[in-house]
Amino acid sequence: MTKTIKVSRAWGEVIEARALVMREGFSPRYDLDRWTGVISRIGHSAEGESIRDRVLVIPTTKGGVAGGWAFFDLLHKGIAPKALVFGKLNPVMVQGAVLARMPVTEGWDEDALQVIRTGDMLRIDPASRVITVLD
Amino acid sequence: MTGHMEPRGESAAAGTMLLDAHEQAMLRGDHGPAVQEAIRFQIEVGNFFEAKRFVTITNAHVMGDIEVMGDGGLEHLRAMGEHHARCTVPTSSNAQCMHFHADPRLKQDEEEIGKENEILQRYKTMRIAPTDTCIPYQTVYQPKMGEHVAWGDTGTVIYANSVLGARTNFEAGKASFAAALTGRTPEYGFHLDEVRRGTILVELRAQLRDLADWGALGKIVGHPHQDYFAVPVIDGIDRMPLSDELKHLGASLASYGSMAMFHMVGVTPEASTREDAFRGRQPAGTMVVTDADIQAVYDGYRYRDGGNNIVVFSGPQLSLFEMQDLAELFQGRKVAPGMAAVVTTNHMVYSDAKRLGYVDVLEGAGVTILQGVCFYILQRLSKIREENGWTNLISNSGKLVNTITAHRFNTVLRRTADCVEIACTGRLA
Repeated sequence: MTKTIKVSRAWGEVIEARALVMREGFSPRYDLDRWTGVISRIGHSAEGESIRDRVLVIPTTKGGVAGGWAFFDLLHKGIAPKALVFGKLNPVMVQGAVLARMPVTEGWDEDALQVIRTGDMLRIDPASRVITVLD
Repeated sequence: MTGHMEPRGESAAAGTMLLDAHEQAMLRGDHGPAVQEAIRFQIEVGNFFEAKRFVTITNAHVMGDIEVMGDGGLEHLRAMGEHHARCTVPTSSNAQCMHFHADPRLKQDEEEIGKENEILQRYKTMRIAPTDTCIPYQTVYQPKMGEHVAWGDTGTVIYANSVLGARTNFEAGKASFAAALTGRTPEYGFHLDEVRRGTILVELRAQLRDLADWGALGKIVGHPHQDYFAVPVIDGIDRMPLSDELKHLGASLASYGSMAMFHMVGVTPEASTREDAFRGRQPAGTMVVTDADIQAVYDGYRYRDGGNNIVVFSGPQLSLFEMQDLAELFQGRKVAPGMAAVVTTNHMVYSDAKRLGYVDVLEGAGVTILQGVCFYILQRLSKIREENGWTNLISNSGKLVNTITAHRFNTVLRRTADCVEIACTGRLA
């Protein structure tokens, strides 16, 4: 059965990619090795995982203005994620995503951390504000 | 109080936003391609947050250095230069990533230094003053109550909103440059009255003695409430806090909680009373913070064995009075073998601290003083850590011990005098 999640706000084009689910907040400056694309913060729930070509599913944001440039920089380095799916976000994530032309969403009608698992193939449709977990 | 310009002539919709004639001209390209691209970007961001219009700003503070922008960001900046981008409001730059210091322990990449110099040169061409500071509110410009600005560093934003009563969102990367070029920003978030009301009540029953205590309070309140739109109201402070104390509280709240505003009853300008801070609404939650809670923050850090260690005073950059305090604490002492001690401040504070003798005292004690940078954003920091074998990083900054963790330091928060003691004895207490 196909599962869907409705989001509150969204920007960007339709994309499909596999999920990387985080259990806590995320900041590209605090948590990520921005030269390899691997989560490097000691003890982060996704420590050791690469964000490359993934849809990052993130409950909250931490910090920080680094995301304003960091997603664009990751794109340039070829290690960017495909999209950002947030429970709660701050404007930095939107500003950074728009610069990197990376779809971004906020809010979910069902707890995405329960519905989506790392490795699931997702379809993000910002115009309809829907995330679909594809079988 | 909103300070926005009334639309002149015909207005037109751009998604959720209504543009005045001047903004339409910018969008058409009448003011050149740099301004056109900037306002397009701002409209996209504004639409995400369902902004209804732009608000004019008086000041911008841009964030960008080679470490965070990378080559892609530098190319973007070059393209802006080719389009003759020029700031239309007074604009300062945030702390940068290159220290230009001779200390061989803190070596940075020559090629990247060249790129950073190019960025700083391009700033001047764009009419950005390269102040290289994360404390513009203490040294460069203090916006007034109700004044709209576009600031690109979280610590500056929370200070402007909370302590000064000015109005800004986190304006990161491209967003701060776009605002500097167009002289406006989409009206959403903390530009709006309803977003500035308190949401969480914090009953303070603790004596905050040291800057690190203020950072600890920021961690206690920020960490469980990671929400940009959460606005804590702190009630129960027993004295008038200093600017440096509110600076450390704000930087920590912004770091742990991604927060952009707090109120402190009887202290900050939009919180003469508790009711005033909540604008008549009920708090969504209440927490009590005691001395034991503050102590528990310190007790929660663990040292790791092995290697050398570093004590850092940074995040935010030190004010002149912090430099004075530190000079008194290091007077006649020496940093111990196997330890390093680093201070960061801006060029303005450094110049006066040099003139007043604080720099000589600190450097005489073996402290390295870096100008125009913040420690956690230093270019090549992970490698610098490895080359020096630094295991533990001890700091009096609640923010720094949180922000630096991607570089795999084991961080420990300690009070200022304890940090100096650790630096000079090497004993990890």
